[in-house]
This record gives sequence, structure tokens and C-alpha cells, in this order.
Amino acid sequence: MSKQKVTYMQTEIKHRWFYHCGPELIWDFLTKPELLSQWLMSNDIKPVIGHQFMFKTKALPAMEFDGNVYCEILEVIPNWKLSYTWKGGPGDGSINLDSIVTWTLEAKDGGTELNLVHSGFGVKTNAKIFDAMNGGWKKNMAETLVDLITKRLTHEATDR
Amino acid sequence: MLHLLSKESLTINALAVNFDMTRPAVSKHIKILYGAGFISIQDIGRERHCALDQKGFRELQSWIDYFDQFWQVKMKKLDELVNKQTRNSKKTKT
Repeated sequence: MSKQKVTYMQTEIKHRWFYHCGPELIWDFLTKPELLSQWLMSNDIKPVIGHQFMFKTKALPAMEFDGNVYCEILEVIPNWKLSYTWKGGPGDGSINLDSIVTWTLEAKDGGTELNLVHSGFGVKTNAKIFDAMNGGWKKNMAETLVDLITKRLTHEATDR
Repeated sequence: MLHLLSKESLTINALAVNFDMTRPAVSKHIKILYGAGFISIQDIGRERHCALDQKGFRELQSWIDYFDQFWQVKMKKLDELVNKQTRNSKKTKT
């Protein structure tokens, strides 16, 4: 099944910045708690796959966010790539923000280009529900439907 | 599924026909969408009608808008720290 390309609603955030230093310094600023806290938030990060850590910041009651971001390291390639989950909620155990932050570094033009992708905004599909269903339901179909949902069909969609 | 819903509210049966899915499969998927706040469900007579609900989209969009600006600010702050650091290391070298 081919993936539809739709563009109505942004579902991931991308930012890029060029820094006048080598990638090693940027990597330090991304992975050392005392450096990371100077520009991002107070944290206990460790660049080890599977390490769970938190960012602590002020609560945003209007967003039902209690100020704690729960993270788990997914990928580590020193001076190159770092990604972790980024989850949050109102503080009652429920999660209303379940996303992924990915940093990639590239040495160029005597400095470092840092790319950020903050993704995963959308409906989370529950694997258990897929298992329980039989016949007439394929995982890739469900993912396409979830894609459609998170891209908000408020215009005429061009179907395949 | 949402494409169909965006035109009108539809019954579970109508959705199943359009997607060549069994009715229970559609129902389970509707539950996910409903739980996430993307659709509303109304029982009209013996039929269950589903329509788009903006709440889920608004919640998503507000997180996206918030973090879009958040990261812009933070990456800029990192720039200031990096420049400060490289200025300081140049001073200690002379």
C-alpha cells in the first residue's frame, strides 16, 4: 500500500542551527547534565541507550503539563546522533504528550550544524488492540489511518 | 476514515463498507479515535454515528505550536553559550 503524501497539518517540528564550534562541544552540551541544564532544563541525562531520565521545568496548567518531562534514550552515536522519548502529562499518571526528540550533528563550514526533529505527535496506536483483532485489519492499514488522523482531513483529500 | 467523516457523520456500518473491514474491526478503531478525542459518537436510533471532533486536533496543535517556539528559543540560547565558551577559551590561549 503506497503512503499518501498529505500536507495539511504539521506533525513534526524541525529546527536547524549553525554553531561556531566543533561537534564535540555541541555533543557535550547535549549529553552532560550540567551543560544541558544551562540552555535547556534541569536534568539527569546520560548518553546510554535505555537510560531513563527527566527534565524538570515549570508547570503549564493550561497545557495539562506538570513540568516533568520523562525521557528514555533511544539512540546514541557520539558527536553524530542522539534521540530520546519525550513524554509528559498533568501529573496524575496519564500521558498527553508522547513524542520523540532527535538531534543530529554535522561538522561543516568550520562549525557544526545541529538539526532537531521533534516528532511523534499524534494518535498512539495500542499494539494490544492490533493483536486482539483478527481478519480485515492489517497493521499498515492502521498506520495509514493514523497518518490520516494526525494530518487532519479538513480539505478534500486526493485519494490514491 | 476521517476523510469520510469530514463530509458528514457516518454510521459504523457505512464506514465498514467503505473500508472493506468487518464491523467489529471498525468499532475497535473508532474506540481509539474516540479515546484520543478525534471523533464524537452519537447513538441515533439503533445506529451509532461518528463525526469529527476538533478537540483532539486542537490539543495536538497546541503542543506543536508550543514546542516550535520553545526549541527556537533554546537553540538560540545554546548559540549564546557556545559563543561565550569559544570567546573564553580564546582569551586563555593568549
